[in-house]
Amino acid sequence: MEVVDSGIGPGLIAIGAGLAVGLAAIGTGLAQARIGSAGAGVIAEKPEALGPIILLVAIPETMVILGFAVAAMVLLLGG
Amino acid sequence: MNVPMLPVQIVGLKADLHLVLHVLRRAACVHIDELAETPEIAARPLALDRETLRQQEQLGVLVARIDGLLKTLGDRTSTEPSAGDGACLDAAREGVEELLPEVQALVSRRDSLQAELLSLPRYESTLRKLLPIIPASAHRPENMTVGALVSRAHVGILDLIGRRVVDLTAGRAEVIASDVDAATRAMLIVFPAEFAADIEGVLGREDVSRLRLPAQLGEGPPDIMLEKLQRRMSDISHELSRIETALGELAGAWSGRLARWRTILSDEIEANSILSSFGETDTTFVLAGWVPETEYQRVRDMLTDEVGETLYIEPLRMTPERRERAPVQLKNPAPARPFESLVSLLTLPRYGHIDPTRLMAFFMPVFFGMILGDVGYGALLIVLSLFLRRKLRKGVARDVVVVLAMGAGWAIVFGFLFGELFGTLGEEIGLHPLWFDRASAEHVSALLIMSLVVGAVHITLGLILGLFEALRDRSRSHLLERGGMLLGLVSLFFIVAVAVDYLPRGLMSPAIAGLIVGIVLLGSSLGWLGVIMGPIEFIGLVGNVLSYLRIAAIGLASVYLAKVANDVAGAVGTLIVGVIIAVLIHALNLVLAAFSPTIHSLRLHYVEFFRKFYEGGGRPYRPFRSTIE
Repeated sequence: MEVVDSGIGPGLIAIGAGLAVGLAAIGTGLAQARIGSAGAGVIAEKPEALGPIILLVAIPETMVILGFAVAAMVLLLGG
Repeated sequence: MNVPMLPVQIVGLKADLHLVLHVLRRAACVHIDELAETPEIAARPLALDRETLRQQEQLGVLVARIDGLLKTLGDRTSTEPSAGDGACLDAAREGVEELLPEVQALVSRRDSLQAELLSLPRYESTLRKLLPIIPASAHRPENMTVGALVSRAHVGILDLIGRRVVDLTAGRAEVIASDVDAATRAMLIVFPAEFAADIEGVLGREDVSRLRLPAQLGEGPPDIMLEKLQRRMSDISHELSRIETALGELAGAWSGRLARWRTILSDEIEANSILSSFGETDTTFVLAGWVPETEYQRVRDMLTDEVGETLYIEPLRMTPERRERAPVQLKNPAPARPFESLVSLLTLPRYGHIDPTRLMAFFMPVFFGMILGDVGYGALLIVLSLFLRRKLRKGVARDVVVVLAMGAGWAIVFGFLFGELFGTLGEEIGLHPLWFDRASAEHVSALLIMSLVVGAVHITLGLILGLFEALRDRSRSHLLERGGMLLGLVSLFFIVAVAVDYLPRGLMSPAIAGLIVGIVLLGSSLGWLGVIMGPIEFIGLVGNVLSYLRIAAIGLASVYLAKVANDVAGAVGTLIVGVIIAVLIHALNLVLAAFSPTIHSLRLHYVEFFRKFYEGGGRPYRPFRSTIE
């Protein structure tokens, strides 16, 4: 019997990579929304806290970068 | 680097207090500590004498008045020559006494005219509604005219009033009513002046408010009143402009002087305020502070020359407690100086610890350049930042603009390496990558590896610095933590290199052993919790290295947005529309290119790099000096 490549594999890889970045980005967005709104309140009262607030807002970005790393691995190793 | 500081103590006679204050202010390099911060000095806090307190109060009132005047007249930079403190105080007092009543009168008149001008248009619209129903009898001199506007829902009242008025005046009054709009009915009553009180009574009893205009307009039929009203509004506008001219002339004559006085007087207030940091005995005063080591001899000479032998100044021993309190002054070469603001934005380094400004001055623009990596965007950002640099005075914003210009310079360098000019446009005009084309699928791995290598180098450098700090501080826990991290991380690099056949297989076992020892050392710095936390901390460290993948990720996002701009321009049928769309998308990308690489480079320093070695929490060095340039 002849096996026919359905072509679904590359599509699933692409979806997997998209989910890796997309879900991580949603997580980062939710975290940054909370930290950002609280941080804006702090800066309004205490402008000298700008540096630590930038730092706090930037911390969750690691999630999306790790998502990007996973997506890149999925595409490069699986594709 | 941190400027070396010397703790000093100055003791003198109370009689010399103000002279010493004057000399220290001119020396402009002594950071004075609060007495409460120096428990080793046994003296009571200096109580200000009555004369100083009275002077402080007077100065405060005068500065508040000058502030009020400047708020009205407009602040401006002073070009007036400086006067001596005493002369300035007298001149400021006399000047304010002369100017204040004049400005207050003008401002008060202006406020009342503005309030009147705001209210008059309401009467104008009402009078216009009455114009169509004015009878000829309204212009006879013996007659008076009263107008009233009533909601059409209460129109019956108007009829009732009309009948009563006619009865009251025995038919000598004329009453005209008419609808002026969908909701309002207007009524005019024209009657001989002798019935004025009676008519007022009728209107009052029926609770109808007659139309009353401001008293200064007088009385008369609506058309005459409208004329008077318009004339009044025009007069007010002219008077307001005359007042503004007068205030402008006063501002021209006084603002510069006022600003100068305020600066001098505020400086005087601040100089007196510092006295509360001093200590005293019955006959002497004492202060403790800090002087940069290089300035000590100069300060000593100045005090000895001007005050004499009755003053005693001595350097104190730098104990560990004093070292903790030492103020921090950063001193870096000119190209690195703008980065001091970025370091301070987080927190100043503690005295005697590593100042990362120079490292940041090297790495941050390089990271920015690697992320942006585009000749076109880099060139535009350089032009933009040089323009902004000329507009901005000293401050964090100006420093950030300089940093942006440096980063844009590196973006041009990496633009040539990646062969990018406004994304893929460079390729179209023959710009080929000197290193690799990061946007092509086959080079994505190279880009990721480049980012990871940069991260590995940066983090390793941070850990080496951290290890150096731990050795200098003789901190066992930091030594174990950072040493363990460094050993584990380097071992991991070896494992990866062996796994991809860069290094011989025989190195795998020692590398794995090194990794395990590193994690154990890291865990041992955390006590018994280290059994769990050690491996978790190490995974966090690997996450720190992976975090540098943002250099690749954000760079790729920028390239693809530029590519979209170019492709859309090509896909649109009309050339002009295509160019406009491309310019708009490129403009968006340029804005993102200014912000995103800056924020992310900053974050890589603050979160990933600094955490490996940075000891923050330093107190800023604030020398006692005059604020007058």
